[in-house]
Amino acid sequence: MKPLQIALIVIAGLGVASVVSLYGNTTKYVSFQEADKLHTENPNKSYHIACKLNKAKPIVYDAQKDANHLEFTAVDSLNFEKKVIFLQPKPQDLERTETIVIIGKSQGDYFLAETILSKCPSKYEDAPVKQASLVN
Amino acid sequence: MLTLLSSMPNSTLPAFNNEWLWLGNLGHSFVVISFIATLLFSYFYFQDARSENSTLKKWARNFLYLHSFSVVSVFSILFAIIFFHRYEFFYAWRHSSNALPVYYMISCFWEGQEGSFLLWIFWNSIIALILRRTAGKWESPVIAIIGLGQIALGSMLLGFHWGDLKIGSSPFDLLRDVRPEFLNIPILGSIGVENYLQVFKDGNGLNKLLQNYWMVIHPPTLFLGFALAIVPFAYSVAALWKRESRSWIHPAIIWSIACVGILGAGIIMGGFWAYESLSFGGYWAWDPVENASLLPWLIMTSALHMLLISKNTGRHLFTSHLLTQISFWLVLYATFLTRSGILGEASVHSFTDLGLSGQLLLFLFGFIGLSTVVAFVDSKNRLQFTAALMVFFAAVVLTSYIIPASIKENYTLFIKYLGIGLFVIVLGLYLRNLYKSQKTNLPDEHLLSREFWIFLGSLFIILSLVQVFSATSIPVFNKLFGFKNAVPQAQDYNNIQLWMAMPIMLLMSVGQYFRYKETQWSDLLRDIKWPLLVSVVVFGLLTWGFEIEGFQFILFLFFGVLLSGLNFAFLFRKRKNQVLRWGASISHFGFGVLLIGVLVSSVNKNVLSKSQDGINLAPEQDQSGKIDEKGIQFNRENQILYQGEPVDLIGYKAVYMGSKKGIHYDSLDEFFTVSFISTKNPKDSFKLVPKTQNNPQMGLLAEPSTKHYLHKDVFTHVNYQSGMDKVEPFSSFKLDTLYVGQEGVSSSGKCIYRLKGIEKASRTNGLALRLEVEVERLNEKEIIHPEILINEQTGGLESLPVQLDKLGFFMTINSFDIQDPDPSKQKIAFVVQTGEKTPVKNYIVVKVIEFPWINLVWFGTIIMVIGFAFAIIDRILAQKRVMA
Repeated sequence: MKPLQIALIVIAGLGVASVVSLYGNTTKYVSFQEADKLHTENPNKSYHIACKLNKAKPIVYDAQKDANHLEFTAVDSLNFEKKVIFLQPKPQDLERTETIVIIGKSQGDYFLAETILSKCPSKYEDAPVKQASLVN
Repeated sequence: MLTLLSSMPNSTLPAFNNEWLWLGNLGHSFVVISFIATLLFSYFYFQDARSENSTLKKWARNFLYLHSFSVVSVFSILFAIIFFHRYEFFYAWRHSSNALPVYYMISCFWEGQEGSFLLWIFWNSIIALILRRTAGKWESPVIAIIGLGQIALGSMLLGFHWGDLKIGSSPFDLLRDVRPEFLNIPILGSIGVENYLQVFKDGNGLNKLLQNYWMVIHPPTLFLGFALAIVPFAYSVAALWKRESRSWIHPAIIWSIACVGILGAGIIMGGFWAYESLSFGGYWAWDPVENASLLPWLIMTSALHMLLISKNTGRHLFTSHLLTQISFWLVLYATFLTRSGILGEASVHSFTDLGLSGQLLLFLFGFIGLSTVVAFVDSKNRLQFTAALMVFFAAVVLTSYIIPASIKENYTLFIKYLGIGLFVIVLGLYLRNLYKSQKTNLPDEHLLSREFWIFLGSLFIILSLVQVFSATSIPVFNKLFGFKNAVPQAQDYNNIQLWMAMPIMLLMSVGQYFRYKETQWSDLLRDIKWPLLVSVVVFGLLTWGFEIEGFQFILFLFFGVLLSGLNFAFLFRKRKNQVLRWGASISHFGFGVLLIGVLVSSVNKNVLSKSQDGINLAPEQDQSGKIDEKGIQFNRENQILYQGEPVDLIGYKAVYMGSKKGIHYDSLDEFFTVSFISTKNPKDSFKLVPKTQNNPQMGLLAEPSTKHYLHKDVFTHVNYQSGMDKVEPFSSFKLDTLYVGQEGVSSSGKCIYRLKGIEKASRTNGLALRLEVEVERLNEKEIIHPEILINEQTGGLESLPVQLDKLGFFMTINSFDIQDPDPSKQKIAFVVQTGEKTPVKNYIVVKVIEFPWINLVWFGTIIMVIGFAFAIIDRILAQKRVMA
């Protein structure tokens, strides 16, 4: 076999391996209950949960008490509620968000979020009418 | 053409006052003219390429000039609309505002999709003009193919609506057409709808995050890089079309170098912008939009190296064609990714979906189709294949109209899988034909030849590309096959790319030391011995100096030093008297410096604001999964800074000095001054001014502030501020009577207040009594001045209360009673009401990060770009010598 062909085969193998490992390691979006179950199987892995903020429950963030502690209640796609703790300051548009994706680990009675991806409907969208400048 | 012009959406309803409709109509006419001119110059160039004819070429050139002129006109008119604040045009209203400084008006172009496409078209027309002068015999076929790209891009701006069918989106659409509901706002009832512009006096403004000087130059550079990618593609396709074997390679190399250099610079500028104005704390986050610009760069780099091999040895023509063409496919794919809205949740970037994703996909497949057509050697096969594609496409479009609704869903599914199957077959055909036509019968290359090792390096770049491509495309595959895979996080990329970079770095270091065809071991050893030794020593010193820990990072540093060291040495050992041929070594050296900077600044990135205070969550897990039963507060990376109270950070003492609001166009901004003093060296002190903006559309935005040292950066941003807390109302009200010199206490007894004096003050509507009251809570004292005013017109009393948030105290004067008319005794009794709440202190929550040696990233980039400049100049001169 020619060296070039060997190199081609080795690199192609590495390529396939990298894609397989990527898809093997990629998490799917899960529910809170699945995250509980998966956490006992693999406590080091973080899972993605697409959920909504329960705005009826309080969003607790008191910077003077602990600047790195945010608590809120989220509802997943199966309407299951869970307390979420995030050890960072409150994301600035949290109250305005519709859906959020939280990435983190289940800790029994709460979900410890490492990352919160939030998209609020108004973000980058037009304000229907920019009132202040409109009326003068 | 007349029907096209009359179908313009702008020319309706002339009954509104003060609109500059003519300007929009002019702009739109130029859009249409430039589009038609593109069709014409492409057609004439195409015909000329088939049957060389000087009349055809003359016409082609004339239409190219007309096209370029129209594009510049469109560009100027759109700028005029923004500059003169013509908010009757949606683009100006949506993307600009009165307060915007002129230099940021440029940025409005790339906030909207139409402006971005316009920019791309502009660059393409400049490139076409350069090729018209320099391409020689390649002028006609190459510009004809670039014309196809211009047709695709130009159609994105047409803005034609034909029932459900929408072709492009015009930058000259009217506000009242795009947002008809705005004409229904109540205030227009009184002044008349025709005067709506009296109300729409200001625009929606430019995204705050784009108001940064890097945003003025990063997008044009990036788009120039994107635009340049079409040139090597066009040469490759033209060569297959005209069945030319190798003469296309030299010009393709020149344009590839330009593309790799400029695209690379554009990507890093984007990183610098992110570092300066976003608060994620870094310059690269493996965000899908960043990846989308990286994909074409990686493959173009790989293609460039293959082209170099092909030019020097005649080998690997197949791979050269393949990679050059895929580079442009990936540019289109990247455009589709970022402009179709498919990335949605996956990205912090966001682009409004203009409903043009179908059009973008059509172009992607159109150009893959074009590559496949020219890969057939036989003209008859080319025609048959083109016809088959057209028939299939027409059949799909037609049947989708006549198919009954009951089976529509199944039919769509069927078409989808048929399409995927067909796509795979087309790709297979393309590869087979291209391979057959371009394979060479040369003997195997020598193991000690430069071509072998460069080829290997290119393959490793492709390997890295495959990972980035498949990870970034996860949302696409989710959509296509109904998967529910989550989008990978940055560490998923870092963990793999770290290893993938190492073989590339190794091959980049040694590649040039090999000669084409064959190298003698003894020569190789002689050339490489000393540079290698010195590099190893430098590597040892740097590992110690940078304090790098972790095997994989030390290994990465080793390859980084090798890459810089060997390429630096190469200049002096092999290219001493050939300064112009320094390009490759300089850019490789710069890339090595860049990678070392990336490694050190990210691995040794240090959060200085780590906190041990707060709520204990024992047992708790840290980010590496280690569980701590006592619940040490890891992960706590923010500190609260109360105004005026120094706080110990790692290595620095920080004090929040106070804040102030902006006054001009930045009036929504709040600037926080934080002063830092090094704990080791008190002379080392500086002030940082991070800011926040309470943006009505986007919520609170934070912009970091950074102190740049030569060897490190100290970076900080505000994550939260006291003004964002819910305001607690005053309560525990109490009535009291006060005389001068007398003391009182609030209802809970926490605040003590003394009336120190009274003075008369004249106000515009009467005479006021101004009290001087000292308030004390714990050990803090403040003076306040509540007033009571006797209104001259009404004769009534008006109170001017004072609320003192800092001490949580409130006082208002209800009435007063002069008990002794003799003013010298000043015996006046004031009935005051007091209230209390928890004292509010001004504070900010900040994160402070130290990035060691981050300057190496920028420094390496600059060197790299200089290297590319050398390489281009060298090759242009070489071409001139050949032609002379």
